[in-house]
Amino acid sequence: MKLLSGRISKTAILLFSCLLLLLVPVSYAKDYDQVFSDANEAMGNGDLPAAITILKKVQFEKGDDGGAFVRSRMQIARLQFALKDMPAASATAREVLAVYPDNSEALNFIASVKQEQKPRYVVFIEDCLRFLPQLLKGAVMTIALVVCIILISPLGGLLIALGRISAFKPVSGLCWFFIWLFRGTPLLLQLFFIYYGLPSLGITFKPFTAAILGLGLNYSAYLGEIIRGGIQSIEHGQMEAAKAIGMTYWQAMRRVIIPQTYKRLMPPIGNEFIALIKDTALVSTIAMVELMRSADQMFNAYFNVTALILAALIYLLFTTIFTFIFEKIEIRAGIYENR
Amino acid sequence: MKTANQPLLSLKGITKRFGALTAVNGVDLDVCPGEIVVIIGPSGSGKSTLLRSVNFLEEIDEGTILFEGDEIGYVRNKQGRRHLDAPAKICALRSEIGMVFQHFNLFPHMTVLGNVMEGPLTVQKKSTAAAREIALDMLAKVGLSEKRDVFPATLSGGQKQRVAIARALAMRPKLMLFDEPTSALDPELIGEVFDTIRSLGREGMTMIIVTHQMGFAKEMADRVIFMENGSFVAQGTPEDFFANQMEHDRIKSFLNRIL
Repeated sequence: MKLLSGRISKTAILLFSCLLLLLVPVSYAKDYDQVFSDANEAMGNGDLPAAITILKKVQFEKGDDGGAFVRSRMQIARLQFALKDMPAASATAREVLAVYPDNSEALNFIASVKQEQKPRYVVFIEDCLRFLPQLLKGAVMTIALVVCIILISPLGGLLIALGRISAFKPVSGLCWFFIWLFRGTPLLLQLFFIYYGLPSLGITFKPFTAAILGLGLNYSAYLGEIIRGGIQSIEHGQMEAAKAIGMTYWQAMRRVIIPQTYKRLMPPIGNEFIALIKDTALVSTIAMVELMRSADQMFNAYFNVTALILAALIYLLFTTIFTFIFEKIEIRAGIYENR
Repeated sequence: MKTANQPLLSLKGITKRFGALTAVNGVDLDVCPGEIVVIIGPSGSGKSTLLRSVNFLEEIDEGTILFEGDEIGYVRNKQGRRHLDAPAKICALRSEIGMVFQHFNLFPHMTVLGNVMEGPLTVQKKSTAAAREIALDMLAKVGLSEKRDVFPATLSGGQKQRVAIARALAMRPKLMLFDEPTSALDPELIGEVFDTIRSLGREGMTMIIVTHQMGFAKEMADRVIFMENGSFVAQGTPEDFFANQMEHDRIKSFLNRIL
């Protein structure tokens, strides 16, 4: 009884299913009943080759309904499969096909033998190729979302930052409230509210619009605080020097203060945008088909973890590219500090 | 009422308070065209605050500022409360008064030339070519033409301050304010900045200089003013000041500490 430990459970299942088959009342030619029960006994003893030899006694005869023959051959094939003799297993299944070319059990069995014979990486690559087109379609949507938010949120953030530091109380109060609201509630809730909640107030958005709105407002609030920090980190003397040569507040902001914040803002804003790439996954909950949703669909359709691994790799690729781009921009933005 | 011999700048009863502290207490000062006024005094005596008030970087609580005979910078609203004039007017006034700071405050993201061009370009809306021409002139004046394309971070403190002077001069101001222009400099770099200021004086620039450099005050000033606790304690020509006012106990102890 020399079984590979990894195969024990599989063998047990096979044996069990064979036993079950025996319990079903059958109407085979009477003389084969003994063969099947002998084979069953051999299997019960764990002697699979002996069971195969016994089962081979069943022969196809013209005029026979062939039930016993198919049953015996498929059982042999399964036993050979369990013994890891794949060529023999598929050859046995082909014996069935020779008689019944459409036998789906045999066809499926041969397919699964082929699958089993393939190296793991081949299976993985095949899965990748199967999932990739759909995932890439989703990834394009993810990128579209990210690009839109990257264009919108810094402008929104700048406005909010300038509003927050405004001496005009109603404006600074309003901006404070905006930040308080959008930073203080979950992004998921904001997306739900915009897409599922606002229609009850008579305002309906397409999924893409709702996604842009939700992500845009949320990220503007976060960037607003980051940009405000950047502006306020610029030494006060810069504003005074700008004013001393006659600049207005806005000229000083535009020409002197804000350009100096770029380098300081790159690391935190880069962080935010990397978080953004991942946060776009949340819009899969409001009927947007982006990368996460595509991966989820593939995973549910095939119950194949490769879809999720692939999606993870695409996300990683995106975040890596972003990290790289932001490092470059940061260096470029701070060129005047290099001696 | 403009007269030939009127002061360029006239301060009357300037008072500035920070909460309970009165930084400047009813100061009067007339500065004639071409005059160089040096203000000395201990830290916290209100010298810088007074200077910053002239440029509206501090909003004064009382007093009037006259520039070329006109009262400037403040208006009264319907309730009779005085407040700073409209931002556009304040900006226009500031562009006529140059200011140099203790810590230079150069714009680090612009080249030396960019710093000096910035005023003519952004404030006076001159063309790039015109602004560049002015800036190159001013850099030549402070002797830093060869540094025009570098960023301020590469300059020494003295060079930075000279660029700051060029930046202020590019606006063609009628009055220059220097707020401790050499206090942040290593001693060996002070000379080059004073050389620059000295050459401005020879060209007839009207200047108010707050400094701790007594040697410079003695040499350059038309008038030396000693300020303490927000008021002028004594003033006079350098000869008069350093010869006679030295008897003043407060000045004596201050000068002894400094020299």
